[in-house]
Amino acid sequence: MKKHILFIIVIISFIFTACEYDNFEEPKATLSGSVVYEGKPLGVRTNGTQLELWQDGYALRYAIPVHIAHDGSYSVSLFNGKYKMVRKAGAPWEAQLNDTIIIDVNNNTVFDVPVRPYFTVTNESFQHSSGTITANFTVNKVVENADLAQVRLFVGHSILTDQNRNEQAVNADLSQVVPGENASVSLKLSEALAGLDYVFVRVGVRSNQSNEFVYTQVEKISLN
Amino acid sequence: MKIKYIYLLIALMIVGLFTSCNEDDWLQRTPKDRITDEQLWNDPNMILGLLANYYDRLPQLAGVFNTGTNAEFDDAMWSGHVDQNWRNDIHYGDDYARYWDYTFIRHINLSLENLDEYSVKLSDAQKKQFNAELRFIRAYVYFEMVKRMGGVPLITSQLIYDGSGDPSSLQIPRAKESEVYDFIYSEIQEIKDNLTETVGSRTRANKITALALQSRAMLYAGSIAKYNSLMSSPISTTGGEVGIPANMANDYYQKSLSASEEIIADPEYELYNPAGSAKGENFYKLFFDKSAKEVIFAKDFMTGKVHGFTYDNVVRSFRTDIEGSSILTPSLSLVESFEYLDGSKGTLKDKDAQGNYITYTNMADIFANKDARLYGTVVYPGSQFRNMPVNMQAGVAIWEDGEYTFKVGNLGSAHDDGGVLTGFDGPRNDDQYVSNTGFYLRKFVSESPQDGVRPSLASNWWTWFRLGEIYLNAGEAAFELGQTAKALNYINEVREAHGGFPANSLTELTIETIQNERRVELAFEDHRFFDLKRWRIADKVWNGLETDANAVVHGLYPYRVIRPGHPDDGKYIFDRMRPTRFRRARFFKMANYYSSIDPSVLNNNPKLVKNPFH
Repeated sequence: MKKHILFIIVIISFIFTACEYDNFEEPKATLSGSVVYEGKPLGVRTNGTQLELWQDGYALRYAIPVHIAHDGSYSVSLFNGKYKMVRKAGAPWEAQLNDTIIIDVNNNTVFDVPVRPYFTVTNESFQHSSGTITANFTVNKVVENADLAQVRLFVGHSILTDQNRNEQAVNADLSQVVPGENASVSLKLSEALAGLDYVFVRVGVRSNQSNEFVYTQVEKISLN
Repeated sequence: MKIKYIYLLIALMIVGLFTSCNEDDWLQRTPKDRITDEQLWNDPNMILGLLANYYDRLPQLAGVFNTGTNAEFDDAMWSGHVDQNWRNDIHYGDDYARYWDYTFIRHINLSLENLDEYSVKLSDAQKKQFNAELRFIRAYVYFEMVKRMGGVPLITSQLIYDGSGDPSSLQIPRAKESEVYDFIYSEIQEIKDNLTETVGSRTRANKITALALQSRAMLYAGSIAKYNSLMSSPISTTGGEVGIPANMANDYYQKSLSASEEIIADPEYELYNPAGSAKGENFYKLFFDKSAKEVIFAKDFMTGKVHGFTYDNVVRSFRTDIEGSSILTPSLSLVESFEYLDGSKGTLKDKDAQGNYITYTNMADIFANKDARLYGTVVYPGSQFRNMPVNMQAGVAIWEDGEYTFKVGNLGSAHDDGGVLTGFDGPRNDDQYVSNTGFYLRKFVSESPQDGVRPSLASNWWTWFRLGEIYLNAGEAAFELGQTAKALNYINEVREAHGGFPANSLTELTIETIQNERRVELAFEDHRFFDLKRWRIADKVWNGLETDANAVVHGLYPYRVIRPGHPDDGKYIFDRMRPTRFRRARFFKMANYYSSIDPSVLNNNPKLVKNPFH
């Protein structure tokens, strides 16, 4: 009987061994930060725009996609080393394909990616009174040859509120929105939303150069 | 003694090794396990076999009875097994619709060179014919690449590595987008008169087939030239690999129009419109009647080479197999894009101006007086399939305290009053293998019960090109060239022959009218995705808005009214709804106008320019 147990122990111990080759070391370093303009993180559509990381020194080159969260923050797990970050087209900021950023990743590296959005929204404030949300804000032009395509107020019942995910949204009258000056837009909440305890709101602005908006940070508004 | 013999034997054997047979012929045998190039390229039947392989490999995105991809746009959603519900939740990745098939191009180039080199026994006409067919297929493949990737490297001969260690001679840069379209045009001009052996064929390329490719490809080039430059920020690369200058548009439109007009003038081809049967029925039969003079080029199927489209998509209670059915279910927005015969917009009248439901005595009444192509494309509540009424009803609407309460049950269930609660064909929300939108597909779905049974399945053919499209191509090209009267004429002819509209039903024309006309005439024929791209409206139609009636696939559910003592009792109302299984609004990014090139391809050829946004 003892022999049997010995055998079983030996067999079990084999099960827990593994070949060395499939034990790749997982990437332990992280690179994190935000996309920023003038030091402030820019709000984006969650899962919308991406940055790209490349690493030189290998025969084959594949981009590592970097997803950006709604508040403009990002985080990637990497190996230590030197990486190049590319600000791709299709984002609410200027593509800078030839102006890559070189980042040395060493354990926990924090790096804020400077971008140049076509427009920004600043000085935003939101008021709620009797079922109507009013947003006051200033749209600022950053890139000279960009024109305003859309300015929108978004209302949603989750923090992931943007152009694609929202319960209600309204376009601002573009003739009333002058870059650099205060503008406002208001929206009457639908019955479904008006019954909630709180909603999430943000303002987005889109230029004619891109189909992505740049947003203010999401704000939670109490309706009671 | 013995040992001497052995030495002698060994010596003889060694001598034998160094002798050889004098007669080379004796060793020159024809291999019995393979076909040589000399044999292949001198036997028309074997060449035809090779061509059959190439025709079979013609690329498609949502064509050739591709049920799955058709469920990824706005014309339909996936109501099949839940394991593919990701199609209702699709995020068009950067590589969506990527197509980069230089294996196929190499096979064609190799065939063209071998045909030149080896064939001696073929007649001149045969040789020209095969050469032209191969080049037609190559032009078609390049068209498929350019419409998805923009300009691609134009390779027309074998690329052979010289072993020098420097592969740069094999690294061909991308041609301009316009150059690929020009290549397609010039190839067609060179080959079209050589296709003499296949006159009248519907499954092999002939002159009309080549012109049909010209008609479509030149229309694409023209509209990219025009509509790309009308975008607020046109999509282009500095080298012209993507984007065509606006001043080239008219030339392309003209080339498209002249090809279309030559086809339309050919008496061999006419719009399918047999007298004596209903227009909707005719439009449905057009895709089954293999003698239809409307069909220009088709991929044929027959016993032994079959497809499962009927098995996939037949109306639930008409399925003849134990599984399958109901996968591709048309959207409400497609149904509503079919206009009324009086020319008014196709919006269905489900509610009146006060927001009250409108009641109908028969379910089909709400679809009355619509474009006949609706019947030929969609099985809607109250219509028939295989000469039997479909059994569609979502549930009952019980009138209580001034409003309707909806009640649904299992498929084929009865309500307390003995009448139908939910029909055998649904629709049923959040269920599989039954319509989730309230509509079933009729186009291409066979009426023969045997066609839905595995493994015999269906053998109706796939139409790559048909005259209806050519008329619309002609109409659109003429419209863009400012010849509106001519354009109206072409488009009205299709509406009259296929849709059952009165003659000259349209009197004014806008690009939106043409866009809608293509959506209804050519639904599920692998046009929608590419049409929206070339008009540069894909990002506006599939805008990702959860509130958009088009980006989100909606359904329309019929309910039987229960309101005893009231005239509405027993009538039907229709409720617009968003199917639970439809997860995410279609969202077409700017990056999707041109698919990304595979990074391994970029690694192998540093001369390739990336597409914009990638």
